[in-house]
Amino acid sequence: MNRQIYEIPYGTKDILPGEMKTRRAIENKIIDVFCKWGYDEVKTPSFEYADIFKITDKESDFRFFDRNNNLLALRNDMTAPIARVAANRLQDDNKVKRLCYLSSLYRYENIQAGKQCEFEQAGVELFGASGAAADAEVIVLAAESLKAAGIKNFVISLGHIGFIDGLCREAGLTADQVRMVKECLRRHDAVAMEEIAASIADAGSSLQNVFERLLFLQGGRELLDELAALLQGEAVKKALDDLRQIYSLIEAYGYGSYVSFDLGLNRSLDYYTGMLFEIYLPEIGFSVAGGGRYDRMMDNFGLDCPATGFAMGIERIILALERQGALDYSRRWDVFVAWGEGNILQAIAKADALRKEGRSVKLAVSPMTLEQAAAEVSSNCCSSLVYV
Amino acid sequence: MDEYITIALPKGKLFDKAVDLLAKVGYTAENLSEDSRKLVIANEAAKIKFIIAKTVDVPTYVEYGAADIGIIGKDVLAEENKDIVELLDLKFGKCRLMLAVPEAKRLTRLEDYAHLRVATKYPNCAKKYFDELGIQTEIIKLNGSIELGPIVGLSELIVDIVETGTTLRENNLTEVASIFTATSRLIANKASFRLKFDRISRLTEDLRKVLKEG
Repeated sequence: MNRQIYEIPYGTKDILPGEMKTRRAIENKIIDVFCKWGYDEVKTPSFEYADIFKITDKESDFRFFDRNNNLLALRNDMTAPIARVAANRLQDDNKVKRLCYLSSLYRYENIQAGKQCEFEQAGVELFGASGAAADAEVIVLAAESLKAAGIKNFVISLGHIGFIDGLCREAGLTADQVRMVKECLRRHDAVAMEEIAASIADAGSSLQNVFERLLFLQGGRELLDELAALLQGEAVKKALDDLRQIYSLIEAYGYGSYVSFDLGLNRSLDYYTGMLFEIYLPEIGFSVAGGGRYDRMMDNFGLDCPATGFAMGIERIILALERQGALDYSRRWDVFVAWGEGNILQAIAKADALRKEGRSVKLAVSPMTLEQAAAEVSSNCCSSLVYV
Repeated sequence: MDEYITIALPKGKLFDKAVDLLAKVGYTAENLSEDSRKLVIANEAAKIKFIIAKTVDVPTYVEYGAADIGIIGKDVLAEENKDIVELLDLKFGKCRLMLAVPEAKRLTRLEDYAHLRVATKYPNCAKKYFDELGIQTEIIKLNGSIELGPIVGLSELIVDIVETGTTLRENNLTEVASIFTATSRLIANKASFRLKFDRISRLTEDLRKVLKEG
């Protein structure tokens, strides 16, 4: 027989039984943590009017028309849809809203480790709260959910867009120059950053020095003090103060030792207005989670509402766990119930009773002898046999 | 210093210079040579591992975190567009990406070429260059001996790397435009840059000092 293989599109994959079982368990653990922290899970459509995704600066890669010629897009980001839901559908007296999600996203990209064109994110958004308490909450929640998923070692790189903006203001940069600096940070290009530093600040000034080492401004709390002493600008000091406050709360949660300040951190999206963070693990060369404060996004929906949140990549977490050797893809059921000719009714009753006891049961689909049944237990991945 | 740091080195013309430079800051290993049959060469005392890779693969190893850091030409980085940290300009291995035509067919302006077929090992860089000029081209990716393109009628122009220009002259090609100048770079994986920051930033600073002293 000539077997026909049906291909699937670039950047997609099937998740087969063992992997799916493990994956579901991990997803559940993460969502459980979100719920424990008081977040409501929501689901938004996989595709929406394409305009909504412009808010997050990156237009969707998968776009199509509906029958009325409306331009639709597969979602490439969850923050804008969740913000839309919070703004349009959940208007009530309670100004603080905690929402979470587990969703597939679609981006056309070069396939990287744990990142296909279709990939899954779990995340939270906390609306209606400015200030360090909300920021610390989402950072610690990201850490707690990683831990719940089984990840042990990680570093939370914590930065602040207000620090970068403040530096730019202090140096009197034009909008074009600011864009250049941010793009350079986003690309992690220290060589270009050095060239830019030479062109925008006075040689030998502390400002030039800070721009030059911007990508290397990583370290513990003392780094914040060092920078506060070195720089004069109000905005810079405010950002550093904000980070100090957030850090002391993270410490109170017991996660202080996971934090490393990273003041040159600028995530690919442009909408952040305050702290931002990324989480890195030794097992995988890419960040597994990231987020930050985005107080201006709700402007798009006519609301003045601060917001903060994060998202984590499920595939990358799974890849990291796999590399830790922490995953077991084997599947097992408790009981194989087989039956001899004419005994199906008794077998159904037996299977039902066992399931009610909480055991997983596979019921044979045709009659067989005890010998045949014994031989089929292991091919059915069952631990024991009940023969009726 | 309990963890290894893995360094990806490119085979070919950058290899010796990269090894020499790293040795000056104590990053070296016994039998570290390009012809080594071993793919991974370790210095256990200093907790360093070297992997020797084909030039264009170095950024890939680093992007995925298979190597923490690497040394690679900016020309390769510009072409490959990988998500990595570019730490330091190492100044050596200077070369230029340029556009050349057969001497006999040289025209005054680029726009004067009615039909542009461009042979190159750097299709992304070439496309970007012509796109910015608003010139439409047909780009033909070759993997070596790019100069052959115009000689055998495969293309009208070539976009290629030159160091001295000897190969161009020998093949009666003449440079009509320079696209960019490239030197080698120290690069790092984004996660390693955070997780092994102390070691990587110290290495960067040490190399910067060595380069300043010449």
